[in-house]
Amino acid sequence: MARMPLLTSSCKTFLSGFLPSLDELIEAFIELDEIRVLSLVEKLIVEVPPADILEACRRATVVIGERFEKGEYFLSELVYAGEIFRRIMDIVLPRLREEVKPVATIILGTVEGDIHDIGKNIFKAFAEAAGFKVIDLGVDTSPDRFVEAVRRYNSEIVGMSGLLTIAIESMRRVIEALKQAGLRDRVKVIIGGGRVDEYARRYTGADEWADNAMLGVRKCKQMLGLKICPDLDLLRS
Amino acid sequence: MSGSRSPEELARERMERIEKAVDLKEPNRIPLFVFTCGDLLRRYATGYQLYFDYDKAREASVRFASEFPVDSLGAVLAAEGFIFALAFSDYPDIAPSIRFWSDPMHDALLDKYTRWPGRELPEDSILQFIGGQFMDVDEYGKLSDDPVSFINQTILPRSCLNLEKPGSAKANASLIRLGVEASRFLKFLSDTAVDLARIGTPSLPLTFAYAPLDFIGDFLRYPTGALLDIRRYPDRVKQACEALVEPIVKVGLSLKPAGARYAFIPLHLNEYLSPKLYREFYWPTLRKVIETLYGQGIRSLVFFEGWHDAHLETILDLPRGWGIAYFEKTDVRKAKKILGGHTCVMGGIPPSLLLQETPDRIREYVKSLLEEVKPGGGFILAPGVADIPKETPSENLKALIEAVENYGRY
Repeated sequence: MARMPLLTSSCKTFLSGFLPSLDELIEAFIELDEIRVLSLVEKLIVEVPPADILEACRRATVVIGERFEKGEYFLSELVYAGEIFRRIMDIVLPRLREEVKPVATIILGTVEGDIHDIGKNIFKAFAEAAGFKVIDLGVDTSPDRFVEAVRRYNSEIVGMSGLLTIAIESMRRVIEALKQAGLRDRVKVIIGGGRVDEYARRYTGADEWADNAMLGVRKCKQMLGLKICPDLDLLRS
Repeated sequence: MSGSRSPEELARERMERIEKAVDLKEPNRIPLFVFTCGDLLRRYATGYQLYFDYDKAREASVRFASEFPVDSLGAVLAAEGFIFALAFSDYPDIAPSIRFWSDPMHDALLDKYTRWPGRELPEDSILQFIGGQFMDVDEYGKLSDDPVSFINQTILPRSCLNLEKPGSAKANASLIRLGVEASRFLKFLSDTAVDLARIGTPSLPLTFAYAPLDFIGDFLRYPTGALLDIRRYPDRVKQACEALVEPIVKVGLSLKPAGARYAFIPLHLNEYLSPKLYREFYWPTLRKVIETLYGQGIRSLVFFEGWHDAHLETILDLPRGWGIAYFEKTDVRKAKKILGGHTCVMGGIPPSLLLQETPDRIREYVKSLLEEVKPGGGFILAPGVADIPKETPSENLKALIEAVENYGRY
């Protein structure tokens, strides 16, 4: 994945007369200026490699996540950021000629007996923006389907989501099924949802828990020993 | 715990305990309130039985209250159906009876808002409200102009399969079936309250209201849709929220003649919003609903679901003694510090603590919590909004009750 600076300085100078900069895009995305973001992406996509635009998005979402964790942004900002990211992807994905190598693969699903998906979808958007490949199994996902997907995609992480208290029991059953299939040691497991906590983590036998999407993405990186925010100092400067 | 008192005396004493806390006074002991949407009662019946078989459901509530003598049990064995109450808000004899949907009412309507055990879900699960998007963003004007007509004529035909063609034999038959089921359901509710009172467990006399923005999120635009609308069409959303206040208040007042004293208001989008958005889009109209009802002698029991920390101070905008603030994840110690002497605070027990910990740890937890929140009164102990899982060990629930008895005395 490209590193800062995204464009060489000579290239930047050359283009500056015609093109907005990726920094402008990052800033507009962080400020959740939907209209400006989309107009910038439409202009940038003509000249800038799509992968660089995705990298800019990743950097913006790191800062959005940071603002969320500091209590400056709330869930509504995350929902909006997820929507803006989806609209950027609609423009960028068709132009992406070579696949960007994912950081890791996450098998994601709302567990059996639970059909709530708002939290799962916010997590998915931010995990994708962070460079993870997310295999979304949808809602009401049986333990067998989690096991099957871990085998098929050889994933590094299993992410289970649920809103209801009954979801905790389903999460425990998924981990039990992973154990029985001999896969538990091969994957890191994180449980997420508005009502999971340390007690639920211990009860289910998961490696980590998160009660919000940003924390979930951060813990996924932590579990794999990835740096949390590699470029944050550059962004702050 | 009950000593030699008659069930009537016991029920009166427990109710007084709760009401003193709401009056911001010190009762003789911290009251313990338990609320469930069914999961807790699945220890006595399957999910399907709880929502479909009224006799089994009533028996389950009574068995719980006999085995675990709490001060009050609020068992809502039905789904969120406020849109129907609002649709019939001009008919106070009908509106409250269809405010919640039981499984047979879902069968009558085939609504798309809810999923049920033994229907769309496995037999021993619990019901789920998922909502949906049934209104286009261009229809905000129609909603604002005349919410009741718009919901009856446009939204219900979209959100209930059996009402697809208004005026058709099928739609009319479905409404008749709904009415029949609603009266059976009302009878179940009142029979349960009578049975509980017979063993000394009082029930709060409830009526119902809603936060206008939640109404839009839950029944019309889906929560994420409503959140995007406030960015893209802020004025339309505000206008619609304003227009919804009047019919919501009408529903709230519909049970006043029957003696209702508390309006149950579950909040959903509160924790999604930043303080700025909350104050601009959510709070003004919710506040109006709560204050108007209070002016008419109805206090509110508000479920501040999720994290409400960022908005705690706004509660102080309400008149002192307006009702009960029931918190889920917000630290009740912090809430008590901010709201003490103004608002009765309820909550404090994370359901996962009951599920996971030992009786000793639960006793310790309750002891240290009550030491902090007890002084000055105005506090009701309750497992926080989310249901108590079926798998919760009985000895843990007993430890909770025992701990309140030991450490909750004034």
